[in-house]
Order: sequence, then structure tokens, then C-alpha cells
Amino acid sequence: MICPFCSLLCDADDLNQVCCRRRESSLVEVTKMRSLHGTPSRNSESIPNAINALRSATRILVTGRIASVQTARAAVSFAAKYNATIDCAEGGHSFKNILAIQRSGLNSVSLAEARDHSDVFIVVGDDRLLAKAPRIPSALANEKRDKRTVLLLGDFSEASVSIWREAGFDVWCVPCELNSVPTALVQWSRWSDSNRDSISVAGPLFELLAQARYTTVLWSAENLQMENADLWVERMLQWIATRNEVTRCAAMPWSSLDGTFQQACTWLTGFPGRVAFQAGTPEYDPCRFSYQEWLAKKPTTEKIKSVLVVIDETVCTTPFLEASELPANTQVIEVTAKAKTFPTAIAGVEVAADMFRADQTLLARVEPSVEPRSDAKSAAHWLEALSRW
Amino acid sequence: MVTRLHGATCIDGVSKSEVRDLFLDGEAIRSEQTTHTRIDSEYKLDNHIVVAGGIDLHTHIGGGKVNIARLLLPDLVVHQNSNLVRKTAEQPWLKPLSSPVPGTWETGRRYLEMGYTACFEPALLPANARHAHAEMADTPWLDTGGYLLLGNDRLLLEWIRDGVPQEQINAYVGWMVRAHQCCAVKVVNAGGIDAFKFNQRHLSVDDSHVHFGITPRQILNSLSQAVDSLQLAHPLHVHCSNLGLAGNIAATMATIDAVEGRRLHLTHAQFHCYGTDGPHGYSSAARELADRVNAVPNLSIDVGQVQFGQTVTLSGDTMHQFANRKLARPRKAIFQDLECQAGCGVLPFRYRQDQYVHGLLWSIGLELFLRVEDPQRVFLTTDHPNGAPFTSYPHLIRLLMDYDYRMSIFSRLHPDVQKSSPLPSLTREYSLEEIVAMTRLGPAKALGLNNRGSLCDGKLADIVVYEKCENPEQMFSQPKMVFRRGRLVYRDGVFLADSTKSTIVSSIEIEPQMDAMLKKIWRTRYGYSTEMISVRTDELQSERRIVEEN
Repeated sequence: MICPFCSLLCDADDLNQVCCRRRESSLVEVTKMRSLHGTPSRNSESIPNAINALRSATRILVTGRIASVQTARAAVSFAAKYNATIDCAEGGHSFKNILAIQRSGLNSVSLAEARDHSDVFIVVGDDRLLAKAPRIPSALANEKRDKRTVLLLGDFSEASVSIWREAGFDVWCVPCELNSVPTALVQWSRWSDSNRDSISVAGPLFELLAQARYTTVLWSAENLQMENADLWVERMLQWIATRNEVTRCAAMPWSSLDGTFQQACTWLTGFPGRVAFQAGTPEYDPCRFSYQEWLAKKPTTEKIKSVLVVIDETVCTTPFLEASELPANTQVIEVTAKAKTFPTAIAGVEVAADMFRADQTLLARVEPSVEPRSDAKSAAHWLEALSRW
Repeated sequence: MVTRLHGATCIDGVSKSEVRDLFLDGEAIRSEQTTHTRIDSEYKLDNHIVVAGGIDLHTHIGGGKVNIARLLLPDLVVHQNSNLVRKTAEQPWLKPLSSPVPGTWETGRRYLEMGYTACFEPALLPANARHAHAEMADTPWLDTGGYLLLGNDRLLLEWIRDGVPQEQINAYVGWMVRAHQCCAVKVVNAGGIDAFKFNQRHLSVDDSHVHFGITPRQILNSLSQAVDSLQLAHPLHVHCSNLGLAGNIAATMATIDAVEGRRLHLTHAQFHCYGTDGPHGYSSAARELADRVNAVPNLSIDVGQVQFGQTVTLSGDTMHQFANRKLARPRKAIFQDLECQAGCGVLPFRYRQDQYVHGLLWSIGLELFLRVEDPQRVFLTTDHPNGAPFTSYPHLIRLLMDYDYRMSIFSRLHPDVQKSSPLPSLTREYSLEEIVAMTRLGPAKALGLNNRGSLCDGKLADIVVYEKCENPEQMFSQPKMVFRRGRLVYRDGVFLADSTKSTIVSSIEIEPQMDAMLKKIWRTRYGYSTEMISVRTDELQSERRIVEEN
């Protein structure tokens, strides 16, 4: 059984025995959604109305939270048909990593490899990392290995430290500003007796890094709230690349469920998202075609008719967009779990879904665990229906 | 539905090439019309040739490393309607790819435009299997299959170190191939990818893995035994040790010896037959390898021909890709260590005709083609995209068929290549029959695709019609018509219809004992169950594909 609620995709014979906070809260949300759902509220006009809006639109954005390959395919195809822009990277977080990788490359490691082989883990971020994926420490723990070290850099509470410790790691915690981490890592790896007094923690960290045979550096882009976070990622990647000249070291940039959309969009169009089809061919611009940019661009005349297609096949409790974020004169077509016109089955919960794990290596088939609500269809179903009309 | 192709020259390398009628009866080829057959459509094809659909047995078209290359290189995408696309004087018929690693739709379209109907992804990482199959499902018009990447999976290395019975390894290989819906087994730098994870930077055939203490020779021997024991249609598909290194012919010969006379396919052989002679200590050893291929009937190669221009190299061979990191153009690269199974390295690369080594690689590839006598045991590949994008095949065909043209390119290479290469002495020009054999019949035989590769009665009606032309590059760049399973899907540059596609898999039965054993081991080693990565047949079928067992 595979858990679909976070990108760790925990696989256990009985998931309830390894239940985490994230799964618990998501299950509550699913239950609420199902109990609230009564008589189907969509009407026979909903598809023609949506089609009319799409056909008369002068600018269309397809966005949201896409968690399955099936929906990603349908969404890209839908965007191509209506010459729309598509960007489903929630909050743009993953593009902090993507922009850095596209500039200078990457040395990375997958989850099971790190679990089996890595002797030192450097985890950068704050408590939100474990709030999003509480079982990361146990996923990296390996009973067959000697005690391994995790170095927590950033703003981690004692609760986070305990979780890592309980998973069997020797935990070192160095509170610091995330901005300073790339520079600090460079200093710690070059530390020598001559500057012993200048940085008190440097000595032991130098020893730790010097003795490490395979270091895994993990961060989640969602934690990187600083300006130009892609530059921060690039500096981290450069530090890792430099270490590989003499030893082994790799990054594990943690992605959320939208990693699945990026992968599928990449093989379908050649680009990881932020693609516009207006020219009849996929065009990529990571700045110009972001959904934030689309929303920020206020139409200058009433002749411009905007349609926003929001897809959400997750149980995320916060809406993808607030009404206040919408430009004037924008029609919204909602293909979401809570939508009335196009009620969408939750990927991996109510319908089978192919989902990428957070390290973007493994694509799992997540089978549904509950019957879909009577009127809910997969997001792919709705998008295909709107494309076929 | 019966289609009659009238008056074309039929070429398949099996029967004599001749002008005759061919009937496409449903999905099958018929050489004769039965008395009661009603002809639904007929095409008069004087001045045309008819051949079976092309089969590319080694092209990277799906899976993690291909997608990573796309992610890394949006800057190499060139839109065809932009001014950046120019036809060059040397390659007037070469259609520019929009990228060295195009998206799935573009890949399917470009292959069909050249008359190919089946392609095989040669390095399918077990953990990536579902991804690779999903990607290939989105590649239109092509039947596809994958070779499972083994020989660096830590479990296998441990078992070889521990000396487990060969039967256990056979059962493991069978389980892995079946569970990941593959049709063959591939080894990349046996043991070397894993050794690199332990910071070992070199591993030749008889060197020991720094952690496991075993040699690539042991791994190759064990896997070749497994492939033969399981009676897989395709022999062990090997990417040798020491990729790209001067003098690596010794490792290539040692690889051939390691399998002790069993069947073997050496892939992108051009990258593995270098000597240490010549003005720069880097020379051709193509003759040595070709002589060996000519002498050993159960040994085949594909070439991995280099063509000049921008491309991207992507390989499971992280060890050697990392060693080449400073050669990346543009200067960026991706390296991954993956799931205790293998890894990958992605490096953009530009082959230049004025550069000594690059010119040498180009000439070595052609030497191999020209020295191997049997065109059914040397296959036309560029190891897409490593040597060049697959769209350069028509150009490569012209190089093989036209000595003067070949020499006109050769004369532009670095002077030291011109001095040292024996290429001018190789005057062989491939015939159309030989080209057809190396791109259709040979690959079909090598993969055990008994229903493809020729125009014989009952074969699958994947048919390509080319208009005869003096210039083979022009002819093979754009067929007149392509039929998939008897249905016309492409004509005169227009794509008419989609077609049913197959995924070709091996029919191995899984041994229940091995299934039970791996279920336990998997959770301990990987932290998840075997169900997480096993690809069920119904999953493939749900993506509108036929699953063909061979």
C-alpha cells in the first residue's frame, strides 16, 4: 500500500501502523470532503459554458496542483488545444531548483541509494520540511548500517531533532540563517588549525566532512524564502560539485507532489512547465510564463477575456489561489476536489494515479483506497471532456 | 481491408529484390492475392522501393536520463520556424531537430518521417521502468521495448561476491526482466557505476571493485550465463568498460572473452575500439574489433556513429561521464547515483570536424561499418543522442553508400586524422539491400522479432515506401508512404492517422521462490515493496498499447 498524501510515497503493508501527522490530517480532510458531498450539483450546461468561455478567451492559464501523470498528460494536451499557458509548479518553489540546475547542472542521489550508502546527511531548512513529509528520517534510516550522522542546518526545533534521533541518527544541529549555509559549508570544508579560533564550530564540522565517504545534502525548495533562492541553490550545487573532485557527495532536492507534473510536462513538451502554446508550439520561459506573472498582468482593455483553469487533485486544505489574487474580468473553471461543476477525484485516493516520489527517480502506481464519490471523476476525465467538445 | 502496392521494387534482404506486387491484408503482409480477395485500395508505385519498417535497436528515447537531459538543456531547443534553423551546405537534406533530446511527440514524428516503426530504449533502470514505459507510451507511431540495466545492482554484486549458485542469479535476472516489462538485459560498465559510488574512478575488466572485491569479468560471465539460460531472444547487450579511453580495445576484447563463447552484443562499439598509436596517442582499433566480429558468428555490434554538431551525451556510465565533465559544452552536467541499481551522467557535447579526436571517432565508426562483412550483425545507430541525434541516419546512410561523398567529408577533418586513418583505403559502398538488412532484417533477428523485419508472407504490415532517388540521404529522409499494421499513417509529409502500438516484452515466467525471496529483500534494502516498482501488464495495456511477448 502506498500513501499518496506527500511526495515521500511511503509504502507499507499496513499504512495505519506507520501513520504520520500528514496522513492523519489528510485522512480527516478526505472524510470531511466525502461527508459534505451530497447530491451532484453540476448541471448539464457546465461543459458547454466552460467551452464557450474557453473559445472566446484571449488569454488562458492552466494551473493548480497536479499530482498524477494521467492528469499532467491531459492538462498539457488541453493547454495545447486552447493555446494556453501552463504552469503547475505550486508557489514556484521547484523552479528555484530548476533554474539553478539549468544554469550549472547537478550531482544528485535517490532515496534508496542515500539510505543504503550515505554516511553523512546534511539537512538544510526548518521544521516545515518534516511537517510536509514527517517520515523522511525513517525513510533514510537503515538498521543494517552503523550509526550515521545527520547535520541539521537552519532553524530546527527540538521536536525535529528528536524525530531524527529516534530514527537512529547521530544528530548535530547548527542553528543558522539559511542564507549563510553555502558560505559556511565552504568555510567548514576548508577549515584548518590556522583559523581555529575564528569559527568555534568549524573544527568538528571539518572533521565530519573530511571523514564522510558519501554525503547527502537534502533541502526542500519550499523552505527557501529568501530573495533569488535559485542563486542559493546554485551555490549549494557548486559546493557539492567541488567536493566530488575528491570524494563523493550528492544533493537530494526534495520536491513536492508537483514533481510529477514537471516530469510528465518535460517528456511531453521538452520543458518542465511554464510553457505557452500561443505560437502553436511549446515555448518555454521560466519568468514570463509563471502563473504569478500571468495573474499579475492586469488586462488593459475589456476586450481581453481571461480564463483561468485551476486543477487540484490533492486534498490540500488551503485553496490554490485566493479570490483577491485574480485579475478583473477573469472567468475561473475549477477542476478541483471541492468543485461543484467539475468535482474531481483525489489522485491516489479515489482514482489510480502514477506519481513520482520526491527524488524524481521512482514513478509509483498508487491504487485507490476508497471508492470515488458518486459524481467525482478524475481531473484527466474532465480535461479530456473539455478538449473533445 | 486489403491494400495492393503495385509495381514497386521490394527489398528485404531475404528474397531477391524485384518488382512485384505486395498485399497488405489487415495487419499482415501477403505476397499473393487470393482469388476471392477484394482490393480496397491500390497504389501504383513505379519508381519506388518498398521495405519493412525500420527498427532501431539502440536509441535513448525514454526514462530518467532522457528527461533529465531535456530538463538541463532548454537552451538547445530550436524552433523550426525561427531564423536559427539553417540548412548547411554539407547536409542539405538533414532536417534539424528542435533539440538533441526532443519530446515524445517530436521523437515519434521524426522516426516515422524516416520510415522507422520500432525503437528500443537500451538502458532502462529498474526503478525507472514505469517512467520509461509511460514516456514510450506517449511516443506516437512506434512499437517500443526496453533493455533492463543490470550488472551494477548492489544485490547482484553481493550475490556474486558471496558465490551464490548461478541458478539463483538466473532466477533473479528472470524476475527483474519480467517485473519491469523488458525484453533484454543490458550491462553498462559492469560494476563500474557502483564502484564510482565508492569513489573508485577506474575499473577495467580484471580490476576489483573496491568494496565488493569482484571483477567486471565475473559480472559479465554470470549475466551472460543467465541470459542464455533464460533463453532471452537478444544476447547480453554490453556497454564495455573504459568508455572513450585510449587503448580501450584491450578491455573490449577482454569483455568478449569474459562471456566464454556465449552470444554477445557490443553496443556503440565505436566508443570502445581505440588504440594508443598515432600522433596523439589515440588511434583506431576498428580493424581488430571488426576481425573479431567477422570471426565469431554469435557476436554482433551496433556502431554508435558520431556526427559533427551539437548533441548531448547521456549514459548510465557515471564513472566515465564524470571523467569527461570538463568537456561539457555548454558547461553544465548532471550526475545521479540511483537506487543501489545504477546511475547516470548527462553532458551536452559538440563534436567538431576540425578536432583530432572527434574526427577520429567519426572515421572509426565508418571503419567498423565498412570492415564488418555481415550487415545483419552490424547495426546502424548513433546511440542517439550520444553520437548524434537519430535524425542524422539518412546522412549516415549516404556516407555508407557513397565513397566519394564519404571522402569529401573526410578531406575536411584534422590533418592528423587524414594522415593516420585507413578510411580512404576502404572503398566498399553499401548496397540498398545491405542498408535494409542492417536497419530491418538484422535488428529483427537480433531481437527475436519474428513477425517483423522483412516482406515475407504473414509478417506485420509495417511497410515503408520510398521514391527512388540518386541521393540516398534525400530518399531516406522522407518516405512517400508509411503503413503501420496495414494502415496508411503517413503520406507525402502528412501524418494521416495514429496507430496501435506494441510494447515488446520477454515471456519469461517468474519463479515463485525468487518472488518470495525478493519481496523480503526489497523492503530491507530499498525500504519499499516489490509492488512499488513492478509494472503490471494491465498498466501497459491501459495506455492503449498491445503487449507482445517474444
